[in-house]
Amino acid sequence: MNNLMNILKKELREMFRDKKSLAMMLIIPILIPLLVMGMSALFESEINKPITDYNKIGFDYELSEEEKKLADNFEINVVTSDIDTLKDKYKNGEINLYVTKDNTTYTIHGEDNETTSYASALMDSYFASYKEYLQTNYLEENEINPNEVTNIITVKEDLEEVENYYGNYIVNYGFLFIIMAITISATYPATDATAGEKERGTLETLLTFPIKSKDIIIGKFLSVSLSSIITGLLSLVLMLISLVIANNSFEIYKDTNLMLSTSSLIFTIVVIIAYSLLISGLCIAIASKSKTFKEAQSALTPLTFISFFPGMIAFMAGVSSSPILSLIPFLNYTLLFQDIVTGTIDIVNILLMSISTIVVITLVLVVIIKQYKSEKVLF
Amino acid sequence: MLEVCDLKKKFVKYNEKHQKEEFYANNGISFKAKEGEIIGILGPNGAGKTTLLRMIAGILEPTSGTISFGKLDYHHNEIEIKKSIAYLSGNTKLYNTLSPYELLKMCGNIYGVPKDKLESRIKEISKKLNMDSFLYNRIENLSTGQTQRVNIARCLVHDPKYYILDEATSGLDIISSQIILDFIKEEKKHGKIILYSTHYMEEAENICDYVIMINKGVLIKEGTPTAIKKDTKTTNLRDAFFCLIGGVSYE
Repeated sequence: MNNLMNILKKELREMFRDKKSLAMMLIIPILIPLLVMGMSALFESEINKPITDYNKIGFDYELSEEEKKLADNFEINVVTSDIDTLKDKYKNGEINLYVTKDNTTYTIHGEDNETTSYASALMDSYFASYKEYLQTNYLEENEINPNEVTNIITVKEDLEEVENYYGNYIVNYGFLFIIMAITISATYPATDATAGEKERGTLETLLTFPIKSKDIIIGKFLSVSLSSIITGLLSLVLMLISLVIANNSFEIYKDTNLMLSTSSLIFTIVVIIAYSLLISGLCIAIASKSKTFKEAQSALTPLTFISFFPGMIAFMAGVSSSPILSLIPFLNYTLLFQDIVTGTIDIVNILLMSISTIVVITLVLVVIIKQYKSEKVLF
Repeated sequence: MLEVCDLKKKFVKYNEKHQKEEFYANNGISFKAKEGEIIGILGPNGAGKTTLLRMIAGILEPTSGTISFGKLDYHHNEIEIKKSIAYLSGNTKLYNTLSPYELLKMCGNIYGVPKDKLESRIKEISKKLNMDSFLYNRIENLSTGQTQRVNIARCLVHDPKYYILDEATSGLDIISSQIILDFIKEEKKHGKIILYSTHYMEEAENICDYVIMINKGVLIKEGTPTAIKKDTKTTNLRDAFFCLIGGVSYE
């Protein structure tokens, strides 16, 4: 135990004094506030696009007084001209759409792009109102009460908003970034503590010390885990601060509370710690098989991808957590994060994830200790 | 007393046809070392000196044979034996981000030096090796000579009974080499057992009480430098070695 603490102290000293290790610990967490604020701003700009960005509509016919009034109500900036001029104006970006008329058929022209889709939605609303106006007039001219026809059925919406789409999206992405931050944070110190030590020639010295292989490995494992946990918790704190700011700054999160509840926060910390321990163990296992720092970095690259791709795919494909999936390393952490976001966390899944993590870490540590007991670790 | 008996170490290498081929880096090496004795292990590069010393230091496991440190052996007393050994090789590197003081404190703790004695031990060694001026600087900022002194201090901190020095002066300048040689002579006076491997025959001739010569993993001659020279009818260990292997071979 005493020697384990000596190794742990030595590893932590080396890690916290190494600028590269520190950079790896901090670089992704620092990006999380940028991600939250940047994505929120992007979502909001998509939703609350100013009407002046897409309300310049060309018409190849003169609008009637009623149509002009309606266009005014919809804040449509009317540009009337012949078809060729309208085409040119559209190409030059002076108008966002143009409408042609052939008797009672109106055609909306434009290319399929983001601005046109906004303008097209505006014109759909405009023509729906204009159609209603003409229908009402027609019914009145034929002495039929329009209300009897237009309100022949009534449709009401009673949709309870249980979750904020953008809120969930941003928190889920934040969690994916936390996983990425932990992975990157574990990679560098794990490489440095194993292959790096071999390459620098200090491993031979370490092996002459009166220390059991078990203490060497557990000491190294705990130091790398501690670095990953610090990164994970720092990322979480920065994400929560960013969410509070975003919650109060962006309209899209109006009437939504992006903050995690106390129980969700506790579960999040449990998942962060479990993932940090797992990825630290795996990184040490892979890196200790390499002879040089560079070789270890190359060997760890696939792990970096494996760590967040299953989760990302599950998130995109809308896979839900289950007891069986909670046993699958990597996938289980992301699914549990999703459950935390939606508030549907199941304690059984948390327990299964913890058991799965402990089993994998134990196996990994047994393999590395065996490796360090063998002289092969030197070569 | 340190006793090495019929020590063998087998390795696997690949030949030009990429087939596995076994070879012995050490094949049946035996010798004894008494307190206050410097044993020189001589041989050219690739003779098997490092493998032999690594086995004695407990870094490599012998394929067969025994190593006894008094009544102790690695099968039953690994940690206890390692506590009584100091290993220093030409390739030994130190933890660059630590200061000499931190390194010595860590080593002292690992080797079980009592906490109340450790501070005074570090001060004593620092004074002895003239390290006071850089004791709290990071090792990465030290010169080669200063680093070598830290390496020696690391070996001294737990007051070991056995010193295993593998090509410890290899690649060092004349001053840094002399620091090591002075340290070896000093520790001999304190009754320590010192195993000293080198391919510098003249250096060994000057400081070793007893010499074992190894070539291609096999012990080819042992004895005092004087006895070896007498037996081979040569005037120095270099000539004695060539006499024993039958001249220079470019194999």
